[in-house]
This record gives sequence, structure tokens and C-alpha cells, in this order.
Amino acid sequence: MMKKGFKLSLLAVLGLVFVMGMVLIGCTDETADPVDDEPVEDQDNSTEDEPKDEPADNPPVEEKVFRASFASEPPSLDPGQATDTTSSTVLRGVFEGLTRVTPNGTELAGAESYEISDDYLTYTFTLRDHNWTNGDAVTAHDYEYAWKRVLNPEFAADYAYQLYYIKNAEAANTGEGSLDDVGVKALDDKTLEVTLENPTAYIMDLFAFTTYKPVNKKVVEANANWSNDAGELYVSNGPYKLDVWEHGNEVQLVKNEGYWDADTVQLDRIIYAVVEDEGTVLALYEDGELDWAGSPFSSLPTDALPVLKDQGLLTTQIRTGTYMYLFNVEKEPFNNKKIRQALSYAIHRQTIIDNVSQGEQIPAMGLVPANMELVKEPYFPDNNVEQAKQLFNEALAELGYASAEDLPPIVLSHNTSEGHQKIAQAVQEQWRQAFGIEVTLENAEWGVYLDQLDAGDFQIGRYGWIGDFNDPINFLEIFKEIGGNNKTNWHNEEYASLLDKSYSEGDVAVRTQLLKDAEAIFMDEMPVAPFYYYTFNYVYNPQIKDIFLDSLGNTDLKWAYVE
Amino acid sequence: MEKLLEVKDLHVSFQTYSGEVQAVRGVSFDVKKGETVAIVGESGCGKSVTAQTIIKLIPMPPGEIKQGSILFNEKEIVTKSKKEMFEIRGKEIGMIFQDPMTSLNPTMKVGNQIREGLIKHQRMSPRAATERAIELLKLVEIPQPEKRINQYPHEFSGGMRQRAMIAIALACNPKLLIADEPTTALDVTIQAQILKLMKNIQKKMGTSIILITHDLGVVADLCDRIVVMYAGKVVEQGTKREIFKNPQHPYTKGLLRSIPRLDQEKETSLIPIFGTPPDLISPPDGCGFCERCDDAMNICKLEDAELHQVSETHQSRCWLLHPMAQGVES
Amino acid sequence: MTRFLLRRLFFVLISLWVIISATFFLMKAVPGGPFSAEKKVPDEILKSLEAHYGLDKPLAVQYYDYLKSVVTWDLGPSFRYDAETVNQIINRTFKISLVLGLEALLLSIALGLFFGVMAALYHNKFQDYSSMVLAVIGMSVPSFILAVFLQYIFAIKFDIFPAGRFESPLHHVLPALSLAALPTAFIARLTRSNMLEVLQQDYIKTARAKGIKENAVMIKHAIRNAILPVVTYLGPLTAGILTGSFVVENIYGIPGLGTQFVQSITNRDYTVIMGTTVFYSIILVFMIFVVDMLYGVIDPRINITGDNAKGGNANEFQ
Repeated sequence: MMKKGFKLSLLAVLGLVFVMGMVLIGCTDETADPVDDEPVEDQDNSTEDEPKDEPADNPPVEEKVFRASFASEPPSLDPGQATDTTSSTVLRGVFEGLTRVTPNGTELAGAESYEISDDYLTYTFTLRDHNWTNGDAVTAHDYEYAWKRVLNPEFAADYAYQLYYIKNAEAANTGEGSLDDVGVKALDDKTLEVTLENPTAYIMDLFAFTTYKPVNKKVVEANANWSNDAGELYVSNGPYKLDVWEHGNEVQLVKNEGYWDADTVQLDRIIYAVVEDEGTVLALYEDGELDWAGSPFSSLPTDALPVLKDQGLLTTQIRTGTYMYLFNVEKEPFNNKKIRQALSYAIHRQTIIDNVSQGEQIPAMGLVPANMELVKEPYFPDNNVEQAKQLFNEALAELGYASAEDLPPIVLSHNTSEGHQKIAQAVQEQWRQAFGIEVTLENAEWGVYLDQLDAGDFQIGRYGWIGDFNDPINFLEIFKEIGGNNKTNWHNEEYASLLDKSYSEGDVAVRTQLLKDAEAIFMDEMPVAPFYYYTFNYVYNPQIKDIFLDSLGNTDLKWAYVE
Repeated sequence: MEKLLEVKDLHVSFQTYSGEVQAVRGVSFDVKKGETVAIVGESGCGKSVTAQTIIKLIPMPPGEIKQGSILFNEKEIVTKSKKEMFEIRGKEIGMIFQDPMTSLNPTMKVGNQIREGLIKHQRMSPRAATERAIELLKLVEIPQPEKRINQYPHEFSGGMRQRAMIAIALACNPKLLIADEPTTALDVTIQAQILKLMKNIQKKMGTSIILITHDLGVVADLCDRIVVMYAGKVVEQGTKREIFKNPQHPYTKGLLRSIPRLDQEKETSLIPIFGTPPDLISPPDGCGFCERCDDAMNICKLEDAELHQVSETHQSRCWLLHPMAQGVES
Repeated sequence: MTRFLLRRLFFVLISLWVIISATFFLMKAVPGGPFSAEKKVPDEILKSLEAHYGLDKPLAVQYYDYLKSVVTWDLGPSFRYDAETVNQIINRTFKISLVLGLEALLLSIALGLFFGVMAALYHNKFQDYSSMVLAVIGMSVPSFILAVFLQYIFAIKFDIFPAGRFESPLHHVLPALSLAALPTAFIARLTRSNMLEVLQQDYIKTARAKGIKENAVMIKHAIRNAILPVVTYLGPLTAGILTGSFVVENIYGIPGLGTQFVQSITNRDYTVIMGTTVFYSIILVFMIFVVDMLYGVIDPRINITGDNAKGGNANEFQ
């Protein structure tokens, strides 16, 4: 008998709540708006923003768009400050350096021609006639200004050391020398003279690197915050220009019609959404809202890899990077070379790749990634248990232990992550079976873990190195001195001197042999157990062609087009 | 006098998990205009159910009127729809409950609680209703009514709340006021004030009152007639004088013995009624009271007695009154 | 009342100060800094970075500077994101989280009350059982599982809603639902039990005896009393929605304060951690304060000032 009344009452209550809700939402929108009104500079980009709201979501049919995602907001779109792959991906699109890495190798870009001195130390570039997006011509002064700006200690750029190849750059950056002595000089508007500290074989690749990009001296000198938002102040010279930068949410590039090579550029717009969760990235791709899911822009959930592979959608590409276990050679028993060799030999890398990491990685039996082709053959066979056991027993004898039980407790550390943990568990089991040793696993959150490695507070620790530039020295150099990125406490005079020789060696073949010899020493000493070489795994919209992805993870969309 | 309310052979049951509880088993009584009738009995005897059935406040289900009729102003209540009942409740019949502490909505101003009925039944404007609410508070002798109508129940004392309840019940000048144990939860001194108030109001307004109580002492002053209920049935009814001076049913006699009297001799102690009332899920065939009755006979267990006419106004349901019974030495 | 407000404000400030200080020292105690990375920055550069951000100063000075920046609400630059100051980051992300949070809040109140009231009115009937089964599910399924589940069903399988991001109103539906599920379930259960209790109250009988219509009885007398405890739940509810947003925003790729907060911890972005923590604390402390006030408004029996007001209970009739 109450039902009718109840229904009415319920309607009334719900109605009330919803009206309340509407009013509240209405209110917040109004009150929230004023916060939006930032200083005047923002006004420019709010006008820039406007067309984006509707049309950008549903771009006109004729607009050729590529949509990908980043796991985080680009930390900086100032080429002098950027240190991460996300920022450099955007910067590669909007800036043009002296050179550009292309599918056909490194080619001149912002420079038209160059000359090298006989001692391989001085490079004289003639710049191409091309303009900044604000119409100014790009001059040699812009380069000189840009590089000296990064080296200025007050600018506090993390990546200042990327410029240390240039004469007196390190001294200037650490405050021991003057910026005036740095080996970069604009001889006139079109001529840039660069002097190096040592002959550097891969310097032309480096000139394409983000930190070496020029900035517009006039604009940047006048506005310290020029790179904070899209808009008039954000002046660049690349194939695309920054159209929208909705912080934390989205970056949009549009074709730069004033680019010197604009005819090559086919895409009208590139949209990078910021989405951290891997599952969501894949969901958005499957929903057709992204054209690319996976590295190097974002990453794919490990669970999804076998499925995508079975469906034939997954593309795998080798990457210049090595996943490894570091041995702390100051900790018993890892002061013994044979123990290190034994543990490294006993790992069955291929099984773990097939069943655990599942990313089609390549087993690493050498430090330098296989695609760099320093050596053709691995230094030892994968899963070499017989030899490992023999070495292990010899090591026990050398160290004076009667049996494996007498060894000090062994701890394998990694930073907290499901992927690292699964791999460590598999290795733990393989070592148990090979030697009968019980290894304890420990993990710590990333920041904490890095501190532990730095403090030498570990026995075996997971580590990874992704190449900065395409040369073996980038990997070998890590372990030249103790400290810095070499956390193993391992040092070898011969190894160091071989690398030293290679720095000043102008002859490519001789230099390669020096590096080979160094790697051989390293692999015999085994201060790290290489595990696998990284790969890129991604799914993408096959209608987008010619997305250039090099093995360092550098993507370049200059040549991309939509079919 | 004209009959305002006539309850005839009312049966009310409740469905529960353990079975059907026959709370009211054939109750008949009537209330005349301007009259105060007390329904007396112990807890669970069906007096409250009877009262709430009159305005159909018992939840249905699980409650159900099995049979009988309730004529109010010569109109049948039992068959009235829910909608029609809205027009009777509050307007024709007002009701007061036992506990003034919980009977008022704690989150609503007292004035609004009074106005609610006025606006609904008398179609009063809010302002007129406010004025009437102030008048009503004056009527129930609450000082500073203008201030009080804007207060919440927790700002009132217990006695004042019951006054406010009376004001709510009387708001629309009902013909009948049902007061369900209106004084039970109050201090003795406040009880007397409330009873006096009700008496005064009845004089002024001529409202009929059904006063439900378990306490015969309370009714002595106020009521004209008394209906004694036991185990869902009326066991005796008569005028106040008849019940107090010439009780016929052993239960009534027991009730009277259990109330203190001023003229009582010092040594005589109060005599309680021992035992408990019967379970109304399976009510006895015979007299419900016989298990507790000192004078029970064989017949009492087998079959319940009819109401015996003691006088024109006095009836009692006891085999002792049967011509074949031999009477009791008292 | 003014004295009461001042007293409350004092306690609010004290608790904020405790939170700010605790966060500061905890953050400094946790290993890892804003510039640690797999590839180590040379020590000289690290030094100039630390000098640049004032991290080379003694801890006491840093603490003082920090307190000053909080008081003036000028939280400084982010260590990781060059393009924005902490103030800008908070302004930008909070707007988004506020919209999402309010949507979830209103959704959970509306749905929670709906299911709770329905369950109570149809006590022990189908409506009651189905509402309560839903409520148990809502309470026991963690929001990140629900978020992924909703995303899979409604975005991937049926393609009704977008799988992520925060653009059109359609984008708001799934995250708001994921965020609202737990509080909805909680409110539904709370409302149901309150409602059942209230329906037994004498004043409901009084109201019915007045002859007013059943829906008036429900709205004016029953529901209002039944939702009182829901109001007290608004404080924890806000906290729940805030913390829930850490996960849900991340899953749906929403650039809100929750995502920012979690990222800043991973990045050891000191200024952003401190800024967001303080900001969250302010919201929470403020919400609790508001709820206390609100409760006093809705339930006249509660005397928020704690002073025993004159004209209270003592007013016995002569």
C-alpha cells in the first residue's frame, strides 16, 4: 500500500540530488575558470588551443594525422634541458640540428657542408639557408649561444656532459674554465667552427643529438620561459612545429611549412597523448584512438605480448641496450672471477626470454649489443652449465670453501617491478639447480634501489643500459673507471688503457680492434653477467608508413606518411 | 448520546515467522460524542493494536484485519482505501503516542510539525498555519509559543513535548483523540499535568478521547467509561464507577488490587497478579485468564465465557457470572 | 561562534603543520633524490643542480625555506618538469580531479541513496537483495580492478565509452563510475540500515497519524533522518575519492592531481610531492571541518560549538 507514494518520493529525492549536482558542477566550472587565466603569455596559446577542442579530436578528413602516446608529460621541451626520450622525441620533430639521423645514415641537415681539419679536431660547418618559425634566419650564433648556454654552470643542465666532447667544455661547465674558451665559434652568420677535445669517430651522430640543437638566441635571451608552452615564444626550426601543449595531457605538432625540406614532410599533425597505464595504451590502440602502442613512445603490458604475437600484430625490433646483472666485486665471493663466470654461464637466457620476459629479446653473451657488430660470435654459449659447474668448484677451492653450503649468503637485488622479479626468480631457480645454492631476492623502489647501487650496498644487482649513441664505446666506457655508472667496483688497467688508446685513434679498423680487445677482457673478467639485448615491441596502424625508428629508440616522423 | 465510534467483533492478526499472532480477538466497544473511554490492560493485551487499527496505522502486512467492523461517524473504516484514510487521520481522528521523546521528528522544528497537518487538511496558508500553531501551543499551555514554534524537539522537556504532541493531534479539531499511554513515559507530577490538560481541552473542545493505559490509577480522574482488555479480548467494560466499585471479572479485580490507594491500611501490601498472559500465536480455547485465576473452574479451560450483562452499561466476560455458577466468596 | 571558529582554525593549522613537517622529513629520509637516474649525472653537474634547487643548504634552512614557500603558497619550480611551477601543476591537475571527484561524489550520493532507500522500502524483497548484492560487490572489488573491468567491457568489447583520457563528457563516465563504486556501496548500506531504523521510529508513526501523504512522510521525515549519518561519511568519502583517484586517474590516463602525486613520488620531485601533499591535507582538513559544520546544520541536536547554549534542555515547564 505504500508503493505508489514511495515511487513518487524517490523520484523527488533523486530529482533533487541531480539538480543539486548540476548546480554544483555549474558552480565549480565557473569558480574554476579564473584559475585558468594565467598571465598574458598564455593568452596566445589559448587562442592556439581553441580550434583544437573540437576539430583536433575529429580532424578534418583530409588532415593526415599520426597519434601515439607517452607514458609521461615531456619533462622539458627546451633542447638544452631535455634528458629523456619523451622530450627528445618531440624535440627531434620540432628542431633541426647540424645533422639528422636518417634511414640512410647520418646526413647533413641544418648544415649544408663541412670541412674537417687534418687532426680530426676542427669541424667547420656552413649552414643551410633556413629560418626559425618566427621568420628569423638560423645563424651560427644561434648554435654558439645554444651550446654555451647549456655549458653555463648557472643553467644547471643535466646533460651538459653530452657536450664534453667539445674543447674546454668540461672545464667551463665545472667552473674551472671560461665559457669563452669553449671550442664553438660563429665565424660569421653562416659559418660555425667546432673544435673537439679528441678526435671522435661518432661526432656526426652526436651533432644530431638533442643537446646539440640550436635555439633562437634573440627569443631565448629575452624570455627564460620561452619553452614552457606552445605559442609565439616557442620558436623552432624543425619539420614540425609545436601547436598545442596541454600540460599533462597532450602535445600536438603540426607541419612546419617554412621548414627547408617541407616537401618531404607528409604528415599534417602529430598528436601525442599522455597515458601512463600500459593496459590503457593498448586499449586506446584497440579502440582506434591511437596509431601506435608500445615502444619507444610508450610500452605494452607484458601479458599482452604473447597474444599480440599470436595474432601476428606485434612488431619486434632490436634495440641498442643491454639488460644485465652487476656483480659487486668487493663482496665475497664475487671477488673471485670464476664465481662470476660460473654464475653468468649457468643462466639459461633463452628459456627465460621465451617463458618469462616474452619480449623476443636476444640472449646477451657479450656486453656490447649484437647490432653494433663489434664481434660476430658470443663470448660463451648460453646455458653452459657443465663449464659453469667446473668453474664453480674451482672457485670454491680457491676461496677455501669446502662446499657450496659454506658460501656466504647471496642476495640478488632488483628494483621493484613485476618483470624484474619474475626474471630474478627464474635465475634463482636455475642457480639452485646448477650449483645447489640458495639465492635470496631483494627489491626496492627505484629511487631507493639506485641509492643502494651507488653505495655498493648489493652483491648482485639488476642493471640496464640503453645506448646514447650508436658506438660500442658508449657501453665499454661505463666500466672504465670505478664510480659514476660503474657500480661494480671493478677496474682493470689494461681495459682502461685500451679504451684510452681508442679515443685518439683516427683509424677506424685499428680503433675497432682496440674495442674488441677491451670487450674480450671484460667478458673474461665478467664483472657483469649480460642477460639480454633489449628489443622494441609495438603494434601500429599499418596505414602509417615510414616511421623511422633506429636501434637507439630514436623515432623520427619526418618521412612518415599516411597511405 | 450519539455514538461516534463503534467497534464490533474486531479481529486483528499479525503474520510472523513463528506463526499468526492473534493480537485482537473479537473486540467490541463504542465511544460516544464527548466521552472519554479508557482501554486498560497489561502489555500485549491488544489495546494498542486496537487503537492503531482504528486509524489503520498498523503495518499491513504483516498486520491484517481478519473480521469485524469499525464504524466512525457511521462510516466503515475497515473497507476504506489508503487515500480515504489520509482524510481521516489527523483531521477526524488525532493520535498521541506513548513516548514524547521519540514521537517528534528530531530534525524538524516543532512549529513545522504542527503546521504540516494544518496545511494538508485545512488548506491553510503557511502564515495562517503558523498563527494557528501558536494558538495551539497556547492551548496546550506552552509559554512563549512564538519562540517555541521555531525550536527543535530537543529543546523541549518531556512534558512539553507531550504537550506539543497533543497540539499536533488536536491541530485540525479532530472528533476523536486516541491517546496511547500518553503519560507512561513521564514523571508522576508531569503525568498529572498532562491528564489535567487533556481534561481541560476536552471540556473546551468537546473531543471524544480514547485513553489507552495499563494503569488504572491514571484513568480514575479523566474517563467516563473503562474497557478492560485481556489477551486480545474485552473482559469487562462499564462506567468508571461500576469498574472501580463493582468489578466483576477476576482480572479487573486483580488490577484494582495492584494499584496503591490513599485509603489503604498500612500493613496491607499491594497484591500483584502472578503468572503471564497466554501466547496469542495459539490462544487457549477457554478463558485466557484461567491459568492465573484463583477462582478458575473446569469450564474456564474448555470454553471462553460470553459477555454477561451485569447492568445496562456494565458487561463482564466470566463464567462466574453464569447463572449456573455459585459465585465467589470474596 | 567566532571563538569556536578561531579555535578550530588553530587546530587545523596545527595539524597542517604536523603533516607538512612529517612529509618534509620523511621525504628527506627516503633514499634516492630527484636527480638519481640509471645513467648517472657527473658529480660536478649534480652539485650545480643541487645548488640550483637549494638542496645543498643545511636541512634546517631547507625546512625553513619550505615552510616559507608553503605559507606564501609559492611552491617553487618542479624538479622534473621545467615548463611549469608547482603552483601551476596543482592548479591545472586539481581542476580535472575536482571535476572527476565531484562527479564521483554526486554519483555515489545519488546512487547510494537510491539503492539504500529502495532496499529499505522493499525490505527483504527482490529489490533489497539485489541492491545489497551490488553493494557487497562494490565494497569488495578494488577500484583498480573495477576500472580495468569497466574499461574492457564498455570501451573495448562494446565500444560505448572511450577507453581513456578526459576530453568529452563521455570520457568521464567510466572513471567516475569506477571511483564512485565503493562509496556508493557504502552509502547504500548505510542508508538502508538507517532507513530501516528510522522507519521503526515513533515519529514516523506520528507523521502518518497526521494524515500526510506517504511520500511526504518519506521525504520530510524518514529520508532526512536517514541521511544524517551519510553526511558524517562525507569526510571519509572525500578522502576515499581522493585516494581512489590515484589509481583510477592513472588507469584512464587522466591528467589529474592523483596521477601527478604518484608520479612525483616516483620521480622524487620534492617540490611537487610537498605541494600536492600539503594541498591534499588542506582539502581533507577543510572537508572534515565542513562536514562538522554541515552536521550541525542538518541535525539541530548537535551543538558544534561545544558550549552549552542557553535555552537548551533545561527548559522545564514550571
